[in-house]
Amino acid sequence: METEPPPPRKRRRHRRRLCPAELLAARKRDRKVPQRSHGQKDFIPDGSEEQAERLRLCREEHWQLLEEERVERLGSLVEAKWNAQEGIIELNSPAGKFWHTMGFTERGKQCLLPEEALYLLECGSIQLFYKDLPMSIQEAYETLLSQSTVFSHLKRLGYIVLRFRSSTVPSSYERQLNLDAHGKNSEKRPRKRKRCSSPRLQDKKAKAFEKPQDTEGTPEMESGSQPDPNHSAPDGSCLSAEKSEEPNPGEAEGDQAEATGATARCRDSEPQTGDGGEASAEVSEESSDGSRPPRWDFATITFPNVAADSPQTLLPEPDKELLPENVAGREIDTSRWRGLLNQKRERPSQKERDQRFRSSVNADKKVRRCHNWREYKALLRERSKRRAKSRPSHLWDQAVTPLVEPDRGVSTAALLQQISVLQPSHVLDGA
Amino acid sequence: MIQIHVLEGKGFVWSYEDARRIREEFRMVGILVGALARKPRQNIRLGLPLQLLPEETRLLLELGAAKLMRPTGLQPHREDTIQAEPPPTGIAVYQQGLEQSYKEQRHLAAQERKALLDTLAEQIAQGQAKKRKKRGESADVPLQQTDLESGFVFPRESMMVQIPTERLEPGPQQELDWQAASLDWPHSGDPSHETRYRIYRDLWEQGHFVTGGTKFGGDFLVYPGDPMRYHAHYIVLCVPQQAPLPLYDVISAGRLGSNVKKTVLLCSAAADGSITYTSVQWSGMQ
Repeated sequence: METEPPPPRKRRRHRRRLCPAELLAARKRDRKVPQRSHGQKDFIPDGSEEQAERLRLCREEHWQLLEEERVERLGSLVEAKWNAQEGIIELNSPAGKFWHTMGFTERGKQCLLPEEALYLLECGSIQLFYKDLPMSIQEAYETLLSQSTVFSHLKRLGYIVLRFRSSTVPSSYERQLNLDAHGKNSEKRPRKRKRCSSPRLQDKKAKAFEKPQDTEGTPEMESGSQPDPNHSAPDGSCLSAEKSEEPNPGEAEGDQAEATGATARCRDSEPQTGDGGEASAEVSEESSDGSRPPRWDFATITFPNVAADSPQTLLPEPDKELLPENVAGREIDTSRWRGLLNQKRERPSQKERDQRFRSSVNADKKVRRCHNWREYKALLRERSKRRAKSRPSHLWDQAVTPLVEPDRGVSTAALLQQISVLQPSHVLDGA
Repeated sequence: MIQIHVLEGKGFVWSYEDARRIREEFRMVGILVGALARKPRQNIRLGLPLQLLPEETRLLLELGAAKLMRPTGLQPHREDTIQAEPPPTGIAVYQQGLEQSYKEQRHLAAQERKALLDTLAEQIAQGQAKKRKKRGESADVPLQQTDLESGFVFPRESMMVQIPTERLEPGPQQELDWQAASLDWPHSGDPSHETRYRIYRDLWEQGHFVTGGTKFGGDFLVYPGDPMRYHAHYIVLCVPQQAPLPLYDVISAGRLGSNVKKTVLLCSAAADGSITYTSVQWSGMQ
């Protein structure tokens, strides 16, 4: 029977390293999977030649598929590095199309979660390195994790699969404020930059509206003084689900201001229940992130005016405390930049100007000095008179005399003659 | 010796040859769980690794045909396994191999191109002559033979690299004693595993192909031949001999079995080593 121990093999274990010729030949490999067209399955083996042949063909095809090794063009592989300490995969070359649905950025680097990397490795999209050596699929399985078979199955079915984050599920309070609708919208279009320049600042801006208290946690985290349970999970899971546009370092300050402004607004509308009460119970989960008073008092922070009409071009160095730790602030002269900007003067229409610069009567000192309506009217009359004075009096102050009296019957020709400025010429009359 | 690599309590076979032997010599099927190299983004046909049932693994081990291997080292989540940098020689060897492969591929691609040009030489010569005639030059200037090898452009990006399925160098691993239950292989001694194993082995020894039966809500499926070509005949439910069996379970199993034209087998292993089989069929549904 088949079960007796196989004859001892003479040659050494054959590990399938392909030679260059095989590698090149793989370029012309058939990429189609043969359809199993060996007819219906049989009910029972009857020992016939026909059945044996069909089985042989089937197996042949099966083994041929399994024997194939992955061979990819070096240029189409994204180079990835397994970071064992943090349990994530960093990409060394720009990510491919998969970046739409997978990956996240951390400290300015494009990263992948282990399950994503394993799936992509199996798809032949990335080349995974560990300690400067490429990993085989087997090593990747043994190193990364094996739970990802479910992930891979769903991915192969074509789904976008993200790690679950409790923060993506709106709390009942958020639902009450209809904030969940906003969250859904922002998730529909994941916004993610190709290259991230500022670390850890992402996620915050978009969520400022969705989850107000979060913003206040931001500076704390950047200084690294207090690990935040939501954001410093070692497996990096916190970073996967929603991607948002992260501001440039230059904009950072403004963004913070904006975000915190939004926070302030949100808080105003929130009932100040203090302790006890329904609202506070529901919010408490979020405020564990820290519902401290705002760290910055914007009444004392001055923002330089760099508008077109501003005479000030030398901006002082911003206060270090206001900046994230990795952003260096310095004194700068903006005159050069202003030369590069389009600073065409704005030309508002009359209507716009009226709307924008509508002055109040109360601003007029003389008007304010008037005690009653009559005095005001007198003032207006005086003003109009003064305006009239500048006009030549002989034109304006005499009685009006019409050119033609209506009762004087004149012909059209005579009338035209009377009002004409140019006299008709008779030069050609004698010719 | 077949190598079965243990990962979180499951046995995986990575070698194509081993997988083939397991199926053809030992009538074990297992399930493929990896993506197919040729077409990775689909679920209909999958590729290596081959995941074996604990029962299949154990039978191979008891037959003395396989070794159970446990990877050591690589797990980064366990402490003190993050080793120092590897010896630079490994990296150097890899880089050297890559360079060598590039040179050879370049050479081969150039030859390929040359061969292609040679087969088309006549057409090219004709075309060139035509062009020259058009321009009014003399038609019998000999064809210029350029040095292909030096002028041939083969960018490094178009070099082909292999993403090996199986580990190319034997990695850090140790043989695992499967008879003692451990974190890596928790099955030994587990009563339900013991029962299942005895039933599995008995069916297998009768010459059947036995696979996992979850797709029909059973423990195993029994095939008369290779499942590639034959339908399963039985759905096996392993039930402890003395434990009460809810009637609902019998009904649902029997009903499902007859709907898919299979017989449900209620199997229990007695203390004396004998196996009892009870077949259930829905009589009104033929």
